[in-house]
Amino acid sequence: MTFEYVIKDSLGIHARPAGLVVAEAKKYASAVTIEAKGKKADAKRIFAVMSLGVKCGDTVTVTCEGADAEAALGGMKAVIEGNL
Amino acid sequence: MDYKASAQSVLDAIGGKENIVSAAHCATRLRLVIADNGKVDKEKLENTDGAKGVFEASGQLQIIFGTGTVNKVFEEFTALAGIEGGTKEDVKKAAAAKQNIFLRLIKTLGDVFVPILPAIVASGLLMGLLEGLTKAIPGMAESNWYTFFHLMSSAALTFLPILIAVSSARAFGGNMFLGAVVGMIMIHPDLVNAWSGDAVNSAPVLFSIGSYSVRLVGYQGHVIPVILSVWVMSFVEKKLHKVVPEILDLFVVPLASVLAAGAVALLVVGPIFGQLETWVLQGASWLISVPFGIGGFFVGAAYAPTVVAGVHHMYNMIEAGFLSAGGANIWMPIATAANVAQGAAALAVALKTKNKKTKAMAVPAALSAYMGITEPAIFGVNVRYKKPFIAGIIGGAVGGLFAALTKVGASAYGVTGIFGILITVPNSEYGLGVWNIVNYLLTIVIASGAAFAVSFIWYKDEAPREKNKVYSPLKGTAISLSEVKDATFAEGVLGKGFAVIPAAGKVVAPFDGKITTLFETKHAVGITSDAGLEVLIHIGLNTVALEGKHFTALVNEGDTVKAGQTLITFDQKAIAEEGYDITTPVIITNSDDYADVEVLGQGKVGFGDAVLSVKEKEQEIATAEAQA
Repeated sequence: MTFEYVIKDSLGIHARPAGLVVAEAKKYASAVTIEAKGKKADAKRIFAVMSLGVKCGDTVTVTCEGADAEAALGGMKAVIEGNL
Repeated sequence: MDYKASAQSVLDAIGGKENIVSAAHCATRLRLVIADNGKVDKEKLENTDGAKGVFEASGQLQIIFGTGTVNKVFEEFTALAGIEGGTKEDVKKAAAAKQNIFLRLIKTLGDVFVPILPAIVASGLLMGLLEGLTKAIPGMAESNWYTFFHLMSSAALTFLPILIAVSSARAFGGNMFLGAVVGMIMIHPDLVNAWSGDAVNSAPVLFSIGSYSVRLVGYQGHVIPVILSVWVMSFVEKKLHKVVPEILDLFVVPLASVLAAGAVALLVVGPIFGQLETWVLQGASWLISVPFGIGGFFVGAAYAPTVVAGVHHMYNMIEAGFLSAGGANIWMPIATAANVAQGAAALAVALKTKNKKTKAMAVPAALSAYMGITEPAIFGVNVRYKKPFIAGIIGGAVGGLFAALTKVGASAYGVTGIFGILITVPNSEYGLGVWNIVNYLLTIVIASGAAFAVSFIWYKDEAPREKNKVYSPLKGTAISLSEVKDATFAEGVLGKGFAVIPAAGKVVAPFDGKITTLFETKHAVGITSDAGLEVLIHIGLNTVALEGKHFTALVNEGDTVKAGQTLITFDQKAIAEEGYDITTPVIITNSDDYADVEVLGQGKVGFGDAVLSVKEKEQEIATAEAQA
């Protein structure tokens, strides 16, 4: 399951929102990945998420796969829309 | 046979490195545990060059290569499959390759000397004491006890090049016995003893082409030429082992490698050092005559370095020269200043270090330097830790300056340090008065005091690095994460850790590791330790909005860094002036991978102080122990 989102935060995904995203992703058993600019990152690893170097205006694709994928997707959507 | 080809063949036949669970070898067989036996091509295995049989037993795939072959195939196999992190030697080499030549040389000296210290520290002390007492007590040199103790104490230092050669061979991965042979060649009785003064210049010439001549002179008291020769031997030996057929190996390899080392020693190193020694002698003779204490200052400074370089053998000719010209020996007091300064520098290390081994070694090493035997102090302690050696040079220079200004002289030569008192007593023949001995003692005190003070202030134990600890990347005041005025950090969303209110605008690596993330705005850096710890250092709060202003990154993403290496510098004043909170959280972002994170840093912290400690989850400890 995936959803796409265009980053609105003028500073992109920096440490603080990245932390929130990772904290949310860790709540679920599903594998959660974030894809941007052709790079893919495990959303449960802060360094991986930060290494994407996502800027304002970039499109990110969030993918959730696993038993609780639906819940994960909802949670991720909320945290990303709320903070980025 | 080609071990690498055989290893590659085995690796291909078992379905590549992904299919290996574990690899080991016994005296004759390569023993592999395979993940999927279906991928194993048994016929290809049997046809591997050198394989004398293949069978499966007790869950292992065993390939018989035979004694002497299996270990070499195993070595290549593990290297190809990348099972282990390379051999110990490779890891050491990789670490050393990053340093400059000078530091590598010092490291090599340390690697060579540390194992032989037990042999030379006590004998140095005993020998110094014995030689001194011999000067003090008339007739002692003829006694049987002297003969007995002299035999015991002087052996290690007389044959030091052999010990150095053996130790060097071990350090360079060569055969230790062949190393011993190279050392023996270099002090063979057929060669003129390097300590025999003028006789060295009239040693028989082996070859001579123009001004290049090879003289039959030994390497007594030499260090660097021996290490160099054994390095050549080890290099040739290791290369040849790979190409020479096994059946000829025992004959060809030792012969060729020892001959190569011997040739280098006699034909190249010997003439070079002979020439250097002559120049050093000329330079020193001129330098000592420079007035106003300047000569003494520089001789005192240069003395120890020339001992390290091994070009100090001819100095007693300078001393003899003064005496035969009817004057006092003004060289000895300066040499004493240099020697006792090295001893004092080592003594400071002994008092300051918390390492019991270093302490146990530095005390007798320092004492023996006071009796004129400086090798244990110089090579065993001071050069290894660099700063004490420089402290010793400073002490030697200051003491040398004083000795030269007060014109301290001696009535003989061949002894320095405490027992040098015996030849600085009033002596009308050389015009030595009561003040001479007072000034000699003052020289010792001044040289020792200066070297001790500098060494004591400057020397610091290298903090032992533990893989489960984070060493402070910043200098400043530590506060707990909950005090940080930013909810994300304060609530531990990013992980556990602590924060620093920086006192200096510099972030250093908290451990050996790799830069995993470096923001384009350079306000935060993520680094992963070799043991898997992930640490995020976030300089200031909301500083992402500065977009890189006031920050300078000295590393790039993907760089390998050493603990203490500077990663980022920042202008803390400018950042604060723009209205940002400079509090810098230091977070272990993979805190969840550990059972617990303990904050060790409290109050004032300095760069490199242990600040965080993680506890492995118990299950992982059990696995690690089972593997060990």
